[in-house]
Amino acid sequence: MATHKFDVVVVGTGPGGYVSAIRCAQLGLSVATVEDDRPGGVCLNWGCIPTKALLRNAEVVNLMGHAADFGIKLTGFEASYPEAVQRSRRVADRMAKGVEFLFRKNKITLFPGRGTLKAKDVVEVKGTGGSETLEARAVILGTGSEPKSLPGVTIDEKTVISSNGAVRNERHPKSIAVIGAGAVGVEFADVFASYGVQVTILEALPRVVPVEDEDVSKELARTFTRRGITIRTGVKVASVKPGGAGVVVDLGGEKLEVEQVLMAVGRAAKVAGLGLEGLGVQLERGFVKVSPTMETSVKGIYAIGDMAGAPLLAHKAMAEGVVAAEAIAGKSPRPVDYGNVPSCTYCRPQIASVGSTEARAREAGREVSVGRFPFTANGKAVALGETEGFVKVIADKATGEILGAHIIGPEATEMIHEFAVGRTLEATLEEIIHTIHAHPTLSEAALEATLAALGQAIHM
Amino acid sequence: MAVTKVVMPKLSDAMESGKIIKWLKKEGDQVKGGDILAEVETDKADVEMEAFGAGVLRKILVPAGETAAIGALIGVIAEPGDDIAALVASAPAGGAGAGSAAQKTPLRAEPAPTPPAGAASAAPQAPRPTPVTSAPTPSVPAARPVAAVAAPAAAPAGLGQGAQGGRVKASPLAKKIAAQAGVDLRLLHGSGPGGRIIRRDVEAAGSSPVAAAAASAVAVPAAVSGAEFEDLPLTQIRAAIARRMPLSKAPVPHFYVSSEVAMDRAWELREQLNALEGQPKISVNDFVIRACALALLKHPGVNASLQGDAIRVFHRAHIGVAVALDDGLITPVLRDCHAKPLAQIAVEARDLAERARNRKLRAPELSGATFSISNLGMFDVAEFSAIINPPEGAILAVGSVRRVPVVDETGLGVGRRMMLTISCDHRVMDGAMGARFLQDVKHLLEEPLRLLV
Repeated sequence: MATHKFDVVVVGTGPGGYVSAIRCAQLGLSVATVEDDRPGGVCLNWGCIPTKALLRNAEVVNLMGHAADFGIKLTGFEASYPEAVQRSRRVADRMAKGVEFLFRKNKITLFPGRGTLKAKDVVEVKGTGGSETLEARAVILGTGSEPKSLPGVTIDEKTVISSNGAVRNERHPKSIAVIGAGAVGVEFADVFASYGVQVTILEALPRVVPVEDEDVSKELARTFTRRGITIRTGVKVASVKPGGAGVVVDLGGEKLEVEQVLMAVGRAAKVAGLGLEGLGVQLERGFVKVSPTMETSVKGIYAIGDMAGAPLLAHKAMAEGVVAAEAIAGKSPRPVDYGNVPSCTYCRPQIASVGSTEARAREAGREVSVGRFPFTANGKAVALGETEGFVKVIADKATGEILGAHIIGPEATEMIHEFAVGRTLEATLEEIIHTIHAHPTLSEAALEATLAALGQAIHM
Repeated sequence: MAVTKVVMPKLSDAMESGKIIKWLKKEGDQVKGGDILAEVETDKADVEMEAFGAGVLRKILVPAGETAAIGALIGVIAEPGDDIAALVASAPAGGAGAGSAAQKTPLRAEPAPTPPAGAASAAPQAPRPTPVTSAPTPSVPAARPVAAVAAPAAAPAGLGQGAQGGRVKASPLAKKIAAQAGVDLRLLHGSGPGGRIIRRDVEAAGSSPVAAAAASAVAVPAAVSGAEFEDLPLTQIRAAIARRMPLSKAPVPHFYVSSEVAMDRAWELREQLNALEGQPKISVNDFVIRACALALLKHPGVNASLQGDAIRVFHRAHIGVAVALDDGLITPVLRDCHAKPLAQIAVEARDLAERARNRKLRAPELSGATFSISNLGMFDVAEFSAIINPPEGAILAVGSVRRVPVVDETGLGVGRRMMLTISCDHRVMDGAMGARFLQDVKHLLEEPLRLLV
């Protein structure tokens, strides 16, 4: 057992951890990282990246299904799900190797194994080859989160699966009940439905993607229903038990028989076994409590990403990783602006939003003007044959401040940044309007929605 | 890499000039935004002056002990390589107080004797780098653009042509809110990247009546006399009082309404409250503040101010609480009293009073009152009347709580009584309005449980 000394030890190499490690290295600090899986964390290996590969497959399958719309005659085609999963693994592997390369390039030492805090400045790493002791001036924790389940329901990753199982299984079921209609739930619903699985979405709240604007929920429900996905909102799952074709979901009297259940009811911070209790690191509702510079209640220990609280998004984790690294290096970083974190869901049509929903803006007592523009009236969208959805802009009536933007439709996740940048710069509707948007682009819909908020939309 | 002009900030509504007590940074020191550069004595209090730019404090133009008009250039923060000669050369013609001070400071630190005329006028606000052929350091090829942070409206004439119309770095949203709220962006310091004025800067300024104060500051000629009247030295605070009180008493037609309040129940309640362990001690004045706050909400006509051809009626009760100092008085502002429970008023009022006596008030705590209270109860004063502090519309004078003989149904007894006298601006309100307000204050104090619910 050897002892190594570093300026900073980063526990967990997900998007928060690896970004903070690289930023620390850029700032001249010596850095070690600790990881018990492959570098890249859930995001690169089991989350964001492989699911995007699967969703791309789903998109291609859908497009092939619509080949006749483009005058292309196919005499049947076979979409292999196992090969889609294998492709997603190759994509994930490539990204994980990218992180390993970046570690080497920045002279960051990777210690494979499970890290535990023995003191505020000592991390013990237990790996397959024994244990190592790392000493550091500062420790950054970014151990992420794991899927939650409903009370009394065990995720066995066979009949009751989480996103972890869904992304690994090379076989898809004939029917599946997706419990939870947040981003994870609707993305897998899209993938499975595209491969012919009979999908039922069960959501306890009254609408799908409940954190998004109500109009977006309505539009998604409409297009999903049209694609043959069954949506049941406002339903409570009483129990999930083996039986029938695989699993029987009890909806309080009514029984739903499916081959598999995907549990997508949220994620919980991974804070157990890190040694936090012994050091007095405070938690708040299951997440680690942090300062605006990401420092925990114990000086010198920082926490970032999912374990440090909502929103549980990779890009939030990256932003926090940079703040933590710069704080440790003695800079005074600008804290993360949690009111301006874009949120993206990659089902088809895609969903992206930033800022307040219309309802929340009104609840906050703002007098708002709302502009909407449908992709059916956008030339590029019509040319692509992707006319579902719209752009919706919510602004303060008096000042034109952009309170929120909500996009559902083609490439929504790429388009949202126009509004995010605008909000960072405190642009008003007028600055968006006076920015010439190239024609023909999907982004013209953003311009038109902004014009619509002032009652000036041209193409509507 | 911008050059930041350090100007005498406007630290209170009535401030016209400030005296540098001492510089906490010296020339050559590295400073960053938020560092305390100097302590400034204003008409109201000694206030710490923050840096709004980062770099090296290259030049101090107004030494300790000297006075400068607000907006006058008193120092320059820049990077070591930046050419500040033109800026420094422009300083001597500054405001009344600043002129003499600046001239006493040697200007030879920068070898450029007289920058080219074009550079001299363009440099302070130049939107793009202006070539300066006689640049003092060869490594610096051009004058750098100067961040137009908070070039104030009252900027002295010496800053060069166009200084007052220079580009203000502000976000579009900040500009819009400022236009709607009537806030002059040039008076603000930006807290965004590179000193950019962003929404929160304007909103912070909007909570104090900057526009009104700026107007009165322009109308009143600088009356700080300093050394010329050494036989009659005025402290800043005394000068301000001497200058402002006639401006109230003469043009503001005062009328007075008095009322006697039975304080027996309030006295008893206060003793009970103060016997509670772990609770803040409550003073009679805290009761009066709370009663006034509640009554002001009900009588917004008294919580009002004459603004040219309009009467501004306030819907929030920001109450100025007069605090006696050895050399004058000061009226820190207790904000949103209507929304604060009695205990919170007690804690905050005590804190403000203590910091007022120690001259540790922050600038925002000195402005923005909508009504004031002056209490001389501790001096065994039966009653008195106070002078309104413009632009407020009224002030309440509070006497001592005295034990006096009283007659009730049962005959002659001893009761606790307190005299209240409100001074009102007759342009804003009439006698009956003042009387109705006072009646409500009296009722609240005589049924003091109402102050707790």
